[in-house]
Amino acid sequence: MGNKTWADLAGEMKTFLWNPEERTCLGRTAKSWGLILLFYFVFYTCLAGMFAFCMYVMLLTLSPYTPTYRDRVSPPGVMIRPYLNGFTIAFNISKRSTWQPYVDSMHHFLAAYDDKVQEEKNIECISGQYFIQGGNESEEKKACQFKRSLLQNCSGIEDQTFGYSRGQPCILLKMNRIIGYRPGAGVPVSVDCKVQKGNESDLRSVDFYPGNGTFDLMYYPYYGKITHVNYTSPLVAMHFTDVKRNSLVPIQCSLHGKGIVNDVNSDRFLGRIIFMLSIGK
Amino acid sequence: SASELEEKYGTSINKGLSSSRAAEILARDGPNSLTPPKATPEIVKFLKQMVGGFSILLWIGAVFSWISFGIQFAQGAESPFDNLYLGVVLALVVILTGIFAYYQEAKSTNIMASFSKMIPQQALVIRDAEKKELPAEQLVVGDIVEIKGGDRIPADIRLISAQGCKVDNSSLTGESEPQSRSCDFTHENPLETKNIAFYSTTCVEGTATGIVINTGDRTVIGRIASLASGVGNEKTPIAIEIEHFVYLVAGVAISIGVLFFIISVSMRYKILDSIIFLIGIIVANVPEGLLATVTVSLSLTAKRMAKKNCLVKNLEAVETLGSTSIICSDKTGTLTQNRMTVAHLWFDNQIYSADTSEDQTTQPFDQSSPSWTALSKIVTLCNRAEFRPGQENLPIMKRVVVGDASETALLKFAEVILGDVMSIRAQNKKVAEIPFNSTNKFQLSIHETDDPNDKRFLLVMKGAPERILERCSTIMINGKEEPLDSEKAEAFQTAYMELGGMGERVLGFCHLYLPENEFPDTYPFDTDSMNFPTSNLCFVGLLSMIDPPRSTVPDAVSKCRSAGIKVIMVTGDHPITAKAIAKSVGIISATSETVEDIAKRLNIPVEQVNRREATAAVVNGMELKDMSLQQLDDILCNHSEIVFARTSPQQKLIIVEGCQRQGAVVAVTGDGVNDSPALKKADIGIAMGIAGSDAAKNAADMVLLDDNFASIVTGVEEGRLIFDNLKKTIAYTLTKNIAELCPFLIYIIASIPMPIGTITILFIDLGTDIIPSVALAYEKAESDIMNRRPRNKKKDRLVNEQLAVYSYLQIGIIQSVGAFVTYFTVYAEQGFLPSTLLGVRVDWENNAINDFEDSYGQEWTKYQRMYLQWTGYTAFFVSITIQQVADLIIRKTRRNSIFQQGLFRNKVIWVGIFSQIGIALILSYVLMAYWFVAVPFAILIWVYDEDFKLSLPPLPLTHPC
Repeated sequence: MGNKTWADLAGEMKTFLWNPEERTCLGRTAKSWGLILLFYFVFYTCLAGMFAFCMYVMLLTLSPYTPTYRDRVSPPGVMIRPYLNGFTIAFNISKRSTWQPYVDSMHHFLAAYDDKVQEEKNIECISGQYFIQGGNESEEKKACQFKRSLLQNCSGIEDQTFGYSRGQPCILLKMNRIIGYRPGAGVPVSVDCKVQKGNESDLRSVDFYPGNGTFDLMYYPYYGKITHVNYTSPLVAMHFTDVKRNSLVPIQCSLHGKGIVNDVNSDRFLGRIIFMLSIGK
Repeated sequence: SASELEEKYGTSINKGLSSSRAAEILARDGPNSLTPPKATPEIVKFLKQMVGGFSILLWIGAVFSWISFGIQFAQGAESPFDNLYLGVVLALVVILTGIFAYYQEAKSTNIMASFSKMIPQQALVIRDAEKKELPAEQLVVGDIVEIKGGDRIPADIRLISAQGCKVDNSSLTGESEPQSRSCDFTHENPLETKNIAFYSTTCVEGTATGIVINTGDRTVIGRIASLASGVGNEKTPIAIEIEHFVYLVAGVAISIGVLFFIISVSMRYKILDSIIFLIGIIVANVPEGLLATVTVSLSLTAKRMAKKNCLVKNLEAVETLGSTSIICSDKTGTLTQNRMTVAHLWFDNQIYSADTSEDQTTQPFDQSSPSWTALSKIVTLCNRAEFRPGQENLPIMKRVVVGDASETALLKFAEVILGDVMSIRAQNKKVAEIPFNSTNKFQLSIHETDDPNDKRFLLVMKGAPERILERCSTIMINGKEEPLDSEKAEAFQTAYMELGGMGERVLGFCHLYLPENEFPDTYPFDTDSMNFPTSNLCFVGLLSMIDPPRSTVPDAVSKCRSAGIKVIMVTGDHPITAKAIAKSVGIISATSETVEDIAKRLNIPVEQVNRREATAAVVNGMELKDMSLQQLDDILCNHSEIVFARTSPQQKLIIVEGCQRQGAVVAVTGDGVNDSPALKKADIGIAMGIAGSDAAKNAADMVLLDDNFASIVTGVEEGRLIFDNLKKTIAYTLTKNIAELCPFLIYIIASIPMPIGTITILFIDLGTDIIPSVALAYEKAESDIMNRRPRNKKKDRLVNEQLAVYSYLQIGIIQSVGAFVTYFTVYAEQGFLPSTLLGVRVDWENNAINDFEDSYGQEWTKYQRMYLQWTGYTAFFVSITIQQVADLIIRKTRRNSIFQQGLFRNKVIWVGIFSQIGIALILSYVLMAYWFVAVPFAILIWVYDEDFKLSLPPLPLTHPC
């Protein structure tokens, strides 16, 4: 091998690619290639068929309304709105452009909670108890109204800027939906906020709406996307009325209730959320 | 002359050297020992293991991991340490496999090291006018040494006085007969002249004194040894195969890696992500555990071979033996028992055959004739050999005898038939004796008879048949003395020729009862004046002796033949003897003829014979000397049965090279120092453990502990088996690479959540799969293993296109599909239907999105998704494991159906399967249900493979070339 020149090698390569004498390409004739391709075509088609069949059988065993297992998704995680890029909400009161995106995001998010929309699509439910809807699994489920106006100062109705223009931002807290999950086991889950790390006095007061920052039981359980079409997740608005200005304040808001887990190190969004507030002048 | 010698070497024959002078010369010339071949430093060996094979790829993977860790760490990403750990794990894998391979190699080297340790040899030296025992290493040129029978010659020595000195030069020249040595200069060639004794040869009998003329590496042996180390060590076939395999897999890994690096970059993945994909692809493609598995399999076979008396020095040689297509075998000791044994008798005008097997206890031939009684008496009495005392419990054949080879043979022969020879001799008291010498060519002794009434003396004589016959006037037929007429002399000639033609050494026996009146009790026999008759004796019979073939050899040779291996005999012995042995062991089969045979049969001159008709050839060393390389090639190619006789060590090397020119994998057996160049040159050198010299053992790759040719055949079988089994192991290991690789490719292209992690892949490669792949090394042979031709080095590769394609594109793909079904099942049952998963990657991996919606409207945090993803990894891992069980079962055989091979013959496979599942159970905890998702595919693999095996064309059987 060692004493072949490059030209020889190139020539060999060329005959390997296309050998005009034996009419072979890559060492095989057209017929041989044809047979091989045919074989693999048939082989892979059959395999694809088997794959499809297995998937089909597997999907048949699934219920379209409830996933087979829900052990990985519970207990619920928590998210906030506005959510733009990350978990730092920083703006200067005097510069509208710094907080307008947050306000827009809030308005956009709350559009589905407009009183009119809610009244039109959803029913009023009895507060303080789970709204359990029996009957066939495939029946469409009713959803309870969660009107935007319940959020009072944070509803964006009176104060269109959700307090951002005054340096008292509203932040909405949302608990992740889990099918069939009944949070709190009869006692509504409540929310509180504190400074996560640093001086406790940086966060002097927070107002919670509705109620005292609780998720009413009537919004649970959730029945899933297909039957619970108009379901709107209940929210808790946190009105940070007095937060230290001009500094980055890390805040942790947690859920409290039976069955809620909010102290797992590895998952910082499980039953709690940590975000930064930085309000400038 | 002596004084010239004294002058030349600055010594004195009587006083020897002075100690101070000796010390000077010692400082100048160095110690009198062979410099061992230069050993590679241990650290270099170790580092070689660290960078060989796939290690480079894994190092690249590790370095990439660290680079991406560095970048991520600098960017302050959330979990940069994953890559750091991955890099560390990869490096650990490389280092551990390296250490393992190094350890294995060191272990097999150590076995040999014990061989090369020689007992420090002592030499009797005259120095400062005193006799001293000195270690042979301290000998210097000019020393006067004394040698006696049984000593090893401590250096090259010019003899200055000798008494009946005989040396065994077999380790140097291959001549098995001891040669006498004297102080006379007889030949220009130092190898031929009688006054030089060579280093490392043995003095058989007699005593001698001589001047050391060469020491250490300058001795003749030293020069041969350095010739051997000059012969380059060829790469073993299996090393070439593994290299080929590594290139193939590395090629696939690198090209897929680079291809997908480009694809992912052009799909606007970040460079960093692309690098991480690249690492994943490399890790998935490289069978991390395979090289270690191969080493283990080879050493298991080596162990098994060691039990069958083949000690393997170099692990890779295990397989070389399996691919051997030509065996160049020694005759003496390897094919034969290496001891003279009585093979035929001639008395009463009839030839009788004797049993020549290794453990004879009786002799079956007709012993009723009175002639035999007379003959046996001569055999017993006219013999100086004696058993060493204290061996009464040993079988006769194993007892040590003091005496030369022929006499030993006769003694043992007599002992077997007659029982206690020593007491017979004691009853027939010896009164006079003339020992054998080369001028008389006979041996004579006179005894009293054991019959107290018979006062006659019995004169018995044995010797070269024609000389004995000359001294006879009568011949004994059926116990009666009859006159020796020309007709009877003719019968004698025919028998003599026939026995001689069988390559046997023939001795004639005769006796004479001395008349009582002429030789009374007190008659003073004088051996010098020979005052007794030594002619007109009565001829009794002939005995012929041969070094008989080992009883296992003919069977082994025929096995070789059906295995397509050509056995060539290369011996220093006489062509007739060589041919006779070759015929009796089947190296030359009964029906085939040499050119000379044909000429004789057709009664035409040798030149007119069509050389193509002759399948066998007996080539004399002298002919070989004058042959051109082409002529040699011609002989090697056109004759299937070849015997080289009277060859010199150098010619052995030429023969080996000739065979290698034919493209054959050549095994060479040898024992002498002179064989070491050929042993080294051969693809596999096989040294004899008992008769072999240290130099031969050092040069060889394998040592036959019992010196038995048949052991080579078992070795061949094991070698072929391991090659087959390695193929199975590799096929088994390669298959799952696709199932490990596909996830990455689909992840990149379809942007689904990652189906399997890099570390998980390592769990498979280094966890669950290791024991099963070793278990395949225990697989029994598929029926046809010894009926196949040896593999063609160029065509029949360890990893060929078919194996790769079948593993990668067929079974591997089935496995991937099966694993993906499990993957999708896990996600679907948790709420993510397959349709939701496609294209989801960017959001899925976004740390900020913690309300990721699934197909049912539920919302997931990032960590919940990761946890699900790990469940997916585990499920993927589990289903690969399950399908690997099916893969393991199909790989048990390459051609046979599993129903033919049987599931339970190889118990280790079950250990493999259970360990695989057990390890998977320990490593993972997923719902039992996920274990079964891939089962249909496991069954599919098995059914598909059975069909595939059914469709294979039957193997062409061998026919000897």
